[in-house]
Amino acid sequence: MLFHFGEGVRLEKLPLGSRIVYPPDPLEPIAHPERAIKRALGKPLEDDPLKSLLRRGMKLTIAFDDLSLPLPPMAAPDVRQLVMEEVIDMAAEAGVEDIHLIAALGLHRRMTADEVRHIVGDRIFTTFWPDRLYQHDGEDPDANVYIGKTAQGEEVTLHKRAAESDLVVYVNLTLVPMDGGHKSMATGLATYRGIRAHHNVKTLLGSRSYMNPPDSALHHSCIRQGQLIEDTVRVFHIETTVNNHAFPAIANFMQKRETDWTAQDQAMFLGMKQFTDLAPPAFKRNVFHAMRAPYGLTAVNAGQVDAVHDKTLEAVRKQISVSVEGQTDIVTLGVPYLGPYNVNAPMNPVLVVCMGIGYLFNFYRHKPVLRKGGVLILTHPCRYEFDAVQHPSYIDYYDEVLADTTDLVEIERKYEKRFAQDPWFVQLYRKSHAYHGAHPFYAHYWAAHGIDHAGDIIIVGGEREVVHRLGFKAATTLEDAFEMAEQTVGRHPSVTHLRMPPIMLCDVE
Amino acid sequence: MPWYSGDRGPTRLTGVIGDAVHDLQRVRRAWHWDSPRPHTWPERGVVVPTPASDLGWARQEPVRTIRYLIQHGLLLPFTEVMSHPKVEGREWVRELERPVIFAANHSSHADTSLILHALTDRARDRTVVAAAADYWFKRPMLGNLVSLFLNTFPFSRTGGAQGQLHSSSQLLKSGWNLVLFPEGSRSLDGRIQEFKPGVGHLANETGTPVVPVHIRGAHRIMPKGQKLPLPAPARVRIGKPMTPLVKEGSREFTARVEKAVRQLSEEPRQPELQGSWIERWRALKPRELTYGED
Repeated sequence: MLFHFGEGVRLEKLPLGSRIVYPPDPLEPIAHPERAIKRALGKPLEDDPLKSLLRRGMKLTIAFDDLSLPLPPMAAPDVRQLVMEEVIDMAAEAGVEDIHLIAALGLHRRMTADEVRHIVGDRIFTTFWPDRLYQHDGEDPDANVYIGKTAQGEEVTLHKRAAESDLVVYVNLTLVPMDGGHKSMATGLATYRGIRAHHNVKTLLGSRSYMNPPDSALHHSCIRQGQLIEDTVRVFHIETTVNNHAFPAIANFMQKRETDWTAQDQAMFLGMKQFTDLAPPAFKRNVFHAMRAPYGLTAVNAGQVDAVHDKTLEAVRKQISVSVEGQTDIVTLGVPYLGPYNVNAPMNPVLVVCMGIGYLFNFYRHKPVLRKGGVLILTHPCRYEFDAVQHPSYIDYYDEVLADTTDLVEIERKYEKRFAQDPWFVQLYRKSHAYHGAHPFYAHYWAAHGIDHAGDIIIVGGEREVVHRLGFKAATTLEDAFEMAEQTVGRHPSVTHLRMPPIMLCDVE
Repeated sequence: MPWYSGDRGPTRLTGVIGDAVHDLQRVRRAWHWDSPRPHTWPERGVVVPTPASDLGWARQEPVRTIRYLIQHGLLLPFTEVMSHPKVEGREWVRELERPVIFAANHSSHADTSLILHALTDRARDRTVVAAAADYWFKRPMLGNLVSLFLNTFPFSRTGGAQGQLHSSSQLLKSGWNLVLFPEGSRSLDGRIQEFKPGVGHLANETGTPVVPVHIRGAHRIMPKGQKLPLPAPARVRIGKPMTPLVKEGSREFTARVEKAVRQLSEEPRQPELQGSWIERWRALKPRELTYGED
């Protein structure tokens, strides 16, 4: 059985009777994306055609998601590029002079010019960068405005340009059900003040799971904020979905079930296994991060946010939903080399927690695949390895905060504000390519529900000291991990392996 | 006839050799090997001047392919490393439907490389650079070498230039873009000098659009008098193509081009010269491929 193992892969044996859940095969992509986009803009859901909303003399802002989506980054052209080109064509035809494009980063790192160019394409980049195409800065006091409070007391902030626009067109790519909808504007164009309203331990513990918006306290909060934003500014939402063709031809075996591997797939696997076993981590990282996913567009919807997002979720579920019967005592997961917050950087220990226990564990509807008190087993090398440019606050978080405690409530109370307001982290977030000072906290909070739910968490192949610092148990082999799990779940436990990525959403009966 | 008659044999052979030596001595004596040319005589070549070469070989295959390789292997990477040029307005020269004249300010030998670096491959391949005939082509070897690298052609800047303007217009008419430095020579301090009216005359005569180009920073790379380049950042700002207005004289049009180049040097973007976003967006529209196209 193939297990992702950071920038590598492992072959493991699972106990007899183990259940393996595979992601569905990629859906057939739309043959003519440009036509589908034109159609969606011409006949939006519960809104007027985009063309009729554009007029000479208006202030138009186009906002779009950053490079944390999709994963791995999409092979050019990115679907957001195709959508934005169509919107800009319409704006040019209508004679809209005042147009700005903003990368909705939220508290993520600033992208490099080449990364922005990859998302928007050459034509948009050449025309607008850097005067009219730029990135959101959640710490610029002059570029953000406070809009008000929701009925639940959540503060709402928004990028000033967006707030002052006659129309904001948001171009989103929804890879997983957590993305899109009101969350796009409420986090992408907000400041720390607005984001902390839902990115906190209490809200995330109440999100069962945040991959299923109706059961997610996080999304309820974002919806309330989004409605306030809609009262302030006219928003035209465009959402796209892609299939789960996540790996290029060279790594196509990762896309298939092991029993379906051809001789070529087996040879590719063996080649990659030898390469990843022998090559130094930095070299492997460069090779892995150069991979571009040949995603295909499966749906594009435009119009009013809620109407669009309902359709989008339907399309996403059609691609990634898998029916799973009942819960299990042990869940095994291979943590891959890439998560939303380490594009072109190593996955540091905090991000391993975020990816494995935050994201992968939460890919369920109704109830987790793992029973309450069960054992979650992850495979990842989990090295003490940080990118000083992208993750400076993560280094301090690991060295200072996790050395003190792993209790998320205490961490939030004691440290979050100090990190968020640290002038050096603020400076790096604004001027360099660093994640915000509060970001390592959020990355850790994502795992709050998983940590709370699991009786034990074991990381196989991880550096012992690092795994212990994270508050988990370390095992050298999967057999050892099963042996250790017996202490929690007893002899002869039921085991389920979730073979992700490509991603899937377990619909647990 | 007896052998001693004197008409044949060794006697005749001796006579022939003697004659030849005599002739050689006469010629040698008559030839002014090292004596100066009498100053009263007219200058050689002035009365019947040799026609200036327009270096047509440099615009033919296989020289074009060799130049492509030289530029992509040496010139462009070197320019990138030395100055990492920032280019604005490349959209205006991306898809040129007809030849244009690039009129740029001139403060350094690095100007030409920076302009060529700023052009697209398609435009660069069809671009010739006007190089001062009295500077670059004084030594034929140097002139030919520079032509091989940069596709230059000799351009007289010393007046009486009808012939040169004629050859320039011939190049434009045969589909070549032309890089001109209308200031005539490099500025000493980096400031823009007055433009000479040749550019307006050429544009008027051939109906060719002029693309104003401003280069900032080249002066720091290789100012006049410096032999070797130094690394320094540069920016090339390309404006919208300009065409002479109806009844606009050459001097008036040149003045307008000069004003445009001066305005391009100013810090914020110049939408009236660089185009509104809508104009630039349209200029960047991908070409629609038609059957039979490469």
